[in-house]
Amino acid sequence: MSVRNLRGPRAWIAFALCCVWFAFTVFPLYWVAITSLKTPPDVVGGPTYLPFVDFQPTLKAWRELFSGIRGEFYSNFWSSAIVAVSSSFFATLLGAMAAYALVRFPFRVKLLSGVLFFVLAMGGFLAGRYWLGLPPATASILSFCGALALSVFANRLALPGKVMMNDDIVFWFVSQRLFPPIVVAFALFLLYTEIGKLGFKLTDTYLGLTLAYVAFSLPIVVWLMRDFISALPLEVEEAALVDNVPYWRIFFEIVLPMCRPGLIATFVITLAFTWNEFLFALFLTNSEWQTLPVLIAGQNSQRGDEWWAISAAALVAIVPMIVVAGLLGRLMRSGLLSGAVK
Amino acid sequence: MANITLTGVTKFYEAVQVIPPMDLHIEDGEFVVLVGPSGCGKSTTLRMIAGLEAATGGQMHIGEREVTHLRPGLRNCAMVFQSYALYPHMSVRENIGYGMKVRGVPKTEARTSIENAARILNLTEYLDRKPAALSGGQRQRVAIGRAIVRDPDVFLFDEPLSNLDAKLRVEMRVEIKQLHRRLKTTMVYVTHDQVEAMTMADRVVVLRKGVIEQAADPITLYERPANAFVAEFIGAPSMNMLDGRIERSDTGLRFAGATGLAFEIPPEHTVALSRSVGEDCILGIRPEHTVEAEGGIGVNVEVVDIEPLGPYTLLIGLMGDRKFTGQTRADTKTRPGDRVPIQFDPQKLHFFRAGDGAAIREDTA
Ligand SMILES: Nc1ncnc2c1ncn2[C@@H]1O[C@H](COP(=O)(O)OP(=O)(O)O)[C@@H](O)[C@H]1O
Ligand SMILES: [Mg+2]
Repeated sequence: MSVRNLRGPRAWIAFALCCVWFAFTVFPLYWVAITSLKTPPDVVGGPTYLPFVDFQPTLKAWRELFSGIRGEFYSNFWSSAIVAVSSSFFATLLGAMAAYALVRFPFRVKLLSGVLFFVLAMGGFLAGRYWLGLPPATASILSFCGALALSVFANRLALPGKVMMNDDIVFWFVSQRLFPPIVVAFALFLLYTEIGKLGFKLTDTYLGLTLAYVAFSLPIVVWLMRDFISALPLEVEEAALVDNVPYWRIFFEIVLPMCRPGLIATFVITLAFTWNEFLFALFLTNSEWQTLPVLIAGQNSQRGDEWWAISAAALVAIVPMIVVAGLLGRLMRSGLLSGAVK
Repeated sequence: MANITLTGVTKFYEAVQVIPPMDLHIEDGEFVVLVGPSGCGKSTTLRMIAGLEAATGGQMHIGEREVTHLRPGLRNCAMVFQSYALYPHMSVRENIGYGMKVRGVPKTEARTSIENAARILNLTEYLDRKPAALSGGQRQRVAIGRAIVRDPDVFLFDEPLSNLDAKLRVEMRVEIKQLHRRLKTTMVYVTHDQVEAMTMADRVVVLRKGVIEQAADPITLYERPANAFVAEFIGAPSMNMLDGRIERSDTGLRFAGATGLAFEIPPEHTVALSRSVGEDCILGIRPEHTVEAEGGIGVNVEVVDIEPLGPYTLLIGLMGDRKFTGQTRADTKTRPGDRVPIQFDPQKLHFFRAGDGAAIREDTA
């Protein structure tokens, strides 16, 4: 039973309900679109709905936007595009690798070695700060590396206590997204500033923002890709193994092509996240690599509530996502995203 | 070209023993079929030879090399899977050639090998198709082609024909046998289908719960099964098994059946059976060694179904509550519900000990 099979009045009711829903979802977009065409008096002088009828549309806001008098619009657009696309790419690639490893190879992490890592990292940092008088960045990097090496080694010893398996590791990955992003953003800002003091600039750089986005996107990528990869038939990889194909070639030449639908879907979801991301961009960038969402938010405060200008900028930020969503829909309809696994 | 030797190879999954210590020697160029009911450890054994599962204990040699701990790629085996396991995003040509590409075989040489394999397997017109556009039989031929160009020491097949329909299965059976005759490479073939095992093998290895019950050529397996399990497993329809006792009679030995069947044991069996006097035993008789007739050694059965197969007809009958399958002429007038006498061929009787099912024959004494 599908809506298509309805006949007579029922079909009209269904159609009317669809129209209501359509209006409901499209109205905000429409509102933003017409607002970007209004003059300041039209915006503040009560609601008007129809261009040429209610008010006389003008391209003033758009001209101002593209002329760059309200912030470096082009530069922000390109920052957003470059950072979003490249961080989604790397997050998808790295996440797919992690997911593959988590699906195909059993890992055993002893809880005690995890605790050891935590204690050593914190202890090492404090010791480095107060006994050796190291700068914060140096102390944290050294203690992190030391703690990692020691706990990896400790994991090979016969430690008592609970052993964490692959599912626990996946949960740990995903749990990274459970605490408020502001905590991470703030901590990252401090870390980047401290590393900057060592002469390695991360704030307001491509590398800094991309790294943050990759790290923050990884949980969701691992989670999504794990499902796609565990749906792949193991025997195909075994056939390659028997044929003496090295693991890296199995991953890149067999596994990745086989889960291409999953990769595309995951990439698009990550892209939507990184393109729209605001908080990290606000903390970690200021001029050089500032992104569109930050620019749009800035419109509000710079010269008062200039809704016509904000609307124009918001539309520019929305359009690429609409294009991507449209492409995704096409891919789905063409069957590219389904039934690749046989 | 290589022989395969398993010496005390075992396999545990966690604490569960799937394969008890197994000794098996496969000659160079031999076509060995591992057969047994589902879950008996055939695939596990084959995958241990391939290196896809690590043996828990024991040693394994392929040719002169010890391979027990070698990774799969270095064992120079080629494996064909039940699910074909083709690379879905590659064309037939790429599927067959991928291994050579990875090994760095020169392009022209690879091309010749691919085309050669495609010719042997009748795949030439499909070389540029993707697996999704092929039928099941063609896909399995691609998988075999991929194995051929590897030029392996050993071919391993894990139920390669189970996903094909009956007619195609018979055709592919012949093709694989011809391939073996042409290549003369050692082949280990796993199936749960005893017909496949009998028709293809030089030697059949019957497995039950990871234990080799008998390893012999098909005719020996059929005529001289080592025990009741092999006797019942090999041959279709299955051998009838009738419980009874061996007793001494005035002239020799008697079989006293639990279901009213009693007869003088033919003299050719008495030497072996004389050791089992007074013991419970099982009488085995294959349906194809029975006829619908009065007299001689035989039973009366209540027919519940008839299965006309063309050359002959099977009678599915009941003796008490036990099923009994007999064979009769195609033009039989017998109908379900009739009560008919079934006569056994006295030359073809099998006797097994009731306790462990071991065959009681001169050669098993
Ligand atoms: N990965 C596994 N973990 C635990 N038990 C397994 C695993 N693989 C197979 N088994 C068990 O080993 C036995 C033999 O399996 P298998 O070799 O696949 O049988 P088959 O003869 O049908 O090919 C079965 O009882 C099965 O349940
Ligand atoms: Mg199996």
